[in-house]
Amino acid sequence: MGMFSKWKSAPVEARMSDSLRERMQAAAKAPFTFAQYHPGEGEMIGYSDYSYWGSTFRAFLKNRVALTLFCVLLALLLFTFIQPTLPGQYPANLIINHPITQIQMSNIAPSLTTVKTRVEAGTELIVTPYEDERWSAVSNVLASLKAREQFTVLEYGDFYCYVEINGQRGYVKNDFTTKLKLPEDYTQTPYTARSNFPIKLYSSPADCTNNGDALFVETRYLDMDGDHAVTNAACALRILPSTAPFLFGTNNLGQDLWAMVWSGTRTSLFIGFIVAVIEAFTGIVVGVLWGYVRRLDRLLTAVYNVVDNVPTTIVLVLISYIMRPGVGTLIFAMCLTGWVGMARFIRNQIVIIRDRDYNLASRCLGTSTLCIITRNLLPYLVSVITLRMALAIPGAIGSEVFITYIGLGLPVSTPSLGNLINTGRKLISTSQSYQLVFPTIVLSIITISFYLIGNAFADAADPKNHV
Amino acid sequence: MGKYLLKRMISSVLTLLVILTVVFVLLRQMPIEGYFDNFDKLDNSMIAARLTQLGLDQPLHKQLLSFFGGLLHGDLGTSSRYSVGAPISGIIAQKAPISIILGLLSMGVALVLGIPLGAAMARSQSGFWDRFGTAFIVFVNAVPAAVYYIYLQTLGSTALRVSMLFSREDLRTWILPVFSMSLGNIAYYAMWLRRYMVDENNKDYVKLARAKGVNESKITMRHVFRNAFVPMIQYIPTSLMYTVCGSIYIESLYSIPGMGGLLVDVISRQDNPMVQAIVMIYSCIGIVGLILGDLLMVLVDPRISLHGKGDAR
Repeated sequence: MGMFSKWKSAPVEARMSDSLRERMQAAAKAPFTFAQYHPGEGEMIGYSDYSYWGSTFRAFLKNRVALTLFCVLLALLLFTFIQPTLPGQYPANLIINHPITQIQMSNIAPSLTTVKTRVEAGTELIVTPYEDERWSAVSNVLASLKAREQFTVLEYGDFYCYVEINGQRGYVKNDFTTKLKLPEDYTQTPYTARSNFPIKLYSSPADCTNNGDALFVETRYLDMDGDHAVTNAACALRILPSTAPFLFGTNNLGQDLWAMVWSGTRTSLFIGFIVAVIEAFTGIVVGVLWGYVRRLDRLLTAVYNVVDNVPTTIVLVLISYIMRPGVGTLIFAMCLTGWVGMARFIRNQIVIIRDRDYNLASRCLGTSTLCIITRNLLPYLVSVITLRMALAIPGAIGSEVFITYIGLGLPVSTPSLGNLINTGRKLISTSQSYQLVFPTIVLSIITISFYLIGNAFADAADPKNHV
Repeated sequence: MGKYLLKRMISSVLTLLVILTVVFVLLRQMPIEGYFDNFDKLDNSMIAARLTQLGLDQPLHKQLLSFFGGLLHGDLGTSSRYSVGAPISGIIAQKAPISIILGLLSMGVALVLGIPLGAAMARSQSGFWDRFGTAFIVFVNAVPAAVYYIYLQTLGSTALRVSMLFSREDLRTWILPVFSMSLGNIAYYAMWLRRYMVDENNKDYVKLARAKGVNESKITMRHVFRNAFVPMIQYIPTSLMYTVCGSIYIESLYSIPGMGGLLVDVISRQDNPMVQAIVMIYSCIGIVGLILGDLLMVLVDPRISLHGKGDAR
C-alpha cells in the first residue's frame, strides 16, 4: 500500500519513458521545429518538391548562350533608361551648334573624345572672343588668304611652307587641299607663289582649327595677352567647350547619334512591349473563349479566316495610311493582327486538353470554369505564351522599321530605331555609314537576343524538358 | 473532290467579299486630300463637286455596291495623283507581270536552296550544316528584313560589280532582288523541313529500314524526305505572303517597276484610289495561296482525301 501510494504520488515525469521525457523537455524549450524534407522519405508517401517555376529557371540557367544574351539584354535595357541621367549626355533631338559660328556640328565621325588636336606648352594661339569663364575659343589662324592671292615663300616644307604676306609671317599648308603654285625649283627660296583656293595663314606649322572654326581650350592652360595667348602646359584643343564626346558621331543636322540611338531604342522597345502585352492579353482571352465556349467557335473561326488571310503587312500599311502617324497608330496597327496567331494556338491547345480526365474530374467536383481555365489550362500554355510574347517584341520593332521605310512611320521628331535606320540607309555607301551601322548593331542585338531568349525560355518552360 | 472544291471556292469568295468590304469601309476614312491632284488650290464648292463626281458623298452601302459593280467589269477606278485620270487596272496590268515573275522566281530559288539546306541540317544533326543553318534561320527571323536587305543591296552590288538598281535587260541585276526576296522563305523551308525530317527519322518504319540494312542515303531520299515534304506544301500560302511582303521592300529598294514599289510610291503621293486598289489586290493573294496549297496537297499526297475533312474538332 505504502509503495503503491508512493508510485501514484510520484510526478508525471517519473512515470514517462526516457525518450519521451527528453522530447518533452526539448519541446518546452522550443515548441516548434522545422520538419526537414528527405527525398527518400518523401518518395514513400508520393510527395515531391517539384516546382514548375523552379525547374523552368533551372533549365533556363543551364543554357549558357541564352543566359549570356539575357544578361546583355538586361544590361542594355537598364542602360537605355539610365542613359539620359548620366553626366555629359546631349539630349536626343538637340541640334548642336558651334557656339561661335552657330553652324550645325553635322556629320562628325564617331569618337571617344572631343579633342581635335593636342598642343605643347608654349604654343602661341589666337583667342577668339567667347563668353565663358572656363573655356576659351582659340585658333592659330593669323589671316585668311583669298584664292590666287600672292605671297612670298621664305622657307619650303613638305607639309607647311613658311611665308610672308603684307608684312605678316606665318605658315600655309602645302598638300593636295591647297595645291600651291610653286616654281620648278621650289627649294630655292624666296619666291612668290599662290594657291587656287582660299587658304589660311597659321601662326605655327599646324592646323589648330576644326575645318576653319575655332577650337576650345580650358582657360587655365592659357597665359592671355590681348588676343594672343600662350599655353602654359601641354593641353587639348576641343571641337566644343565640353568634354562629352559624340560616341556615335552626329547626323547631318548636328544631333548626337548616341543620344538618338538610346532614345530610339526606348521608343522601339516601348512599342514592342506594349504590343507584346496587348497581343498576349487579347490572344489569351479570345483563344480561351474560342476554345472553351463551343457556341463561339463557328463565329471566331470565320473571323479568324478573314483576319488571317490578309497579309499583316497590308493591315499595317492600311492602318498607318488612314490614321495619323504616331506611336499610338503603330501600336494599334500591330495589335490588330498580332493576337490572331496566339489566339489560334491557345484555342487548339485548349480544345485538346479541355476534355482530358483531370479537367472532367475537376468539373465534376464543381470547380468554376474560371478556375479550370486559370489553374488547369493556362499553366499548360506558359511556354507558348512566353515564346509568342518574346517574339512579338522583335516583330514589332521590325514592323516599325518597315512602316518607317515606306514613309508611314513615326515623325522624325520622335527618334526610333526605324527612323534612324531609314535616315542612315541613304548614307550606306558614304563615309557617314556609321549613321546606319550603330542603329543596326543595337537593333540586331536586341532582336536576336529576344528571339533566342524567347526560344530558350519556351524550351525551359516546357514540362517535358524538366525531367 | 469536285464537291469539296466547290465548297472551298464558295467559302473563299465569301471571305474575299468580307475582306474587300472591310478594306473598302476602312479606306473611306482616308484623308480626302488623296482624291485630288491639286487640293490646296481648290475651294470648298470645287471639292464638293469633285466628291460628287467620284460618288464619295453617297451613303456607304451605295458606294460599296457601285464599287463591286465596277469590280465585276474589271474597273478599279482612276488614279488621282500618281498618273492623273489613268484607269488603275491599266496601270496595274502594266506593273503586275514583273512582280509575278520575280515572286515566282524567288519562290523557286527558295525551294531550290531551302529544301537541300533543311535536308542537310536534318542529316548532320549538330554538325556543320545544322549549326550554319540554325544561325542563318535565327538571323533571318530575328533581324528585321529591312536591315539586311539594305546591306545585301550595297555589299552585294559591290561584290558582283553590278548596278544597285534593277534593269529588265541586264539579267545580272536580277540576282540580288530575287535572292533577297527568297531569304525569308529559304529559312522558313529549311526550318520546317528539318523539323519534319527529324520527326520522321524517329519513326518505326525508318528504324526498320535501317535495321534491314537499307543504306542511309536511300532512307533519306526514298522514305524520310518524301514523307516530310508533303506537309511542306501547306506552307506555300504563307510563303506566298512572305514573298508579297518582301516584294514591297525589294521593289522600291531596287526601283523595280512592279506592284510593291508602286504601293510605296502611291502611298507617298497619297493617291487614295490607287492605294485602295493595290491593298485590295494584296489582301486577296492570301486566299489564292490558301486554295493553291490545298490543291497541291491533294495532288502530292494520295492518302489525303478532302471529303471527310470537316471541322477541326
